[in-house]
Amino acid sequence: MPPDIEASQAVASTEERRLIAGVLAKDRKATGEFVARCADWLYPFVRNRLIPRNEVIEDLIQDIMFAAWQALPSYRGDANLRSWIIGIARHKVEDYYRKKLLAIEVHEEDDSLLEPTVTPEFEDQIDSAALRGKVQKTLASLPEAYALALMWRYRDEKTVREMAQLVGKTEKAMERLLARARQNFRKRWTNAEG
Amino acid sequence: MPRANFEAQLSALLSASTESNERAPSSLKARLYSALIRKQQETGLLASLEQSVSAGHDVCVFEKLVQIAPVSDNAKSPFFCEVCHARVLAEHFDHAPIFWAGCPYVKFKES
Repeated sequence: MPPDIEASQAVASTEERRLIAGVLAKDRKATGEFVARCADWLYPFVRNRLIPRNEVIEDLIQDIMFAAWQALPSYRGDANLRSWIIGIARHKVEDYYRKKLLAIEVHEEDDSLLEPTVTPEFEDQIDSAALRGKVQKTLASLPEAYALALMWRYRDEKTVREMAQLVGKTEKAMERLLARARQNFRKRWTNAEG
Repeated sequence: MPRANFEAQLSALLSASTESNERAPSSLKARLYSALIRKQQETGLLASLEQSVSAGHDVCVFEKLVQIAPVSDNAKSPFFCEVCHARVLAEHFDHAPIFWAGCPYVKFKES
């Protein structure tokens, strides 16, 4: 069972409740323990979704920590602390994606986005470190909105309809944005091979 | 190559490229901790060191001096780490040369 699903099924332990009570009482030592735990949960989650945008990772994690602290009085312990804080992180990351994609203009009448029929051959060993590095490098070279659109669609498996609704654009506009992002990714990937 | 196939490959590439359970760097934890404590201070006094000790937490040698000082609880509530070299080092280096027992910043290096 994936760790996320496993974690979501557990409720808060007595020990977690004690820790939360300490944080709410503004006990600095309990707060330290809270930060150490939450940072280890949040860092891979946020980093995986924003890499290679390293400059925004820390700001977003801090934002999530503040939001969690402010929402802590309403935490009832129905889910364990990890699931609860990852839930907050998921909303914050989506919010970040949404704002970035909202800012980009997609002209629906633009027909220059027809994707080429020739596409690169991706290597078979998709888990190799070299390939991971190449993916990150290619994403880093894209305009931010394109990289985020690809990550949202293909990493987080959001549907085009969901993305369109969250961003407040039409599905067609979102399809065009994704087409342009794929086209850019392909082009840069192929150039990196040459 | 058909678009659907390309999309499936892209999906596999992006998913596989980010599998990681990397822990947060200790310097990041240190900065987050300082920021959260400052945030807590905005809404009033922190719990006194007396309360931290009663709850079973360790305090560092500097905090111990404050804790046993014959002063009011309010006087024991400020964020003393604000003026400590350990905080500054921990916020800037992942392997900061700090070793005080009971120091939260030292604990971040170990967590």
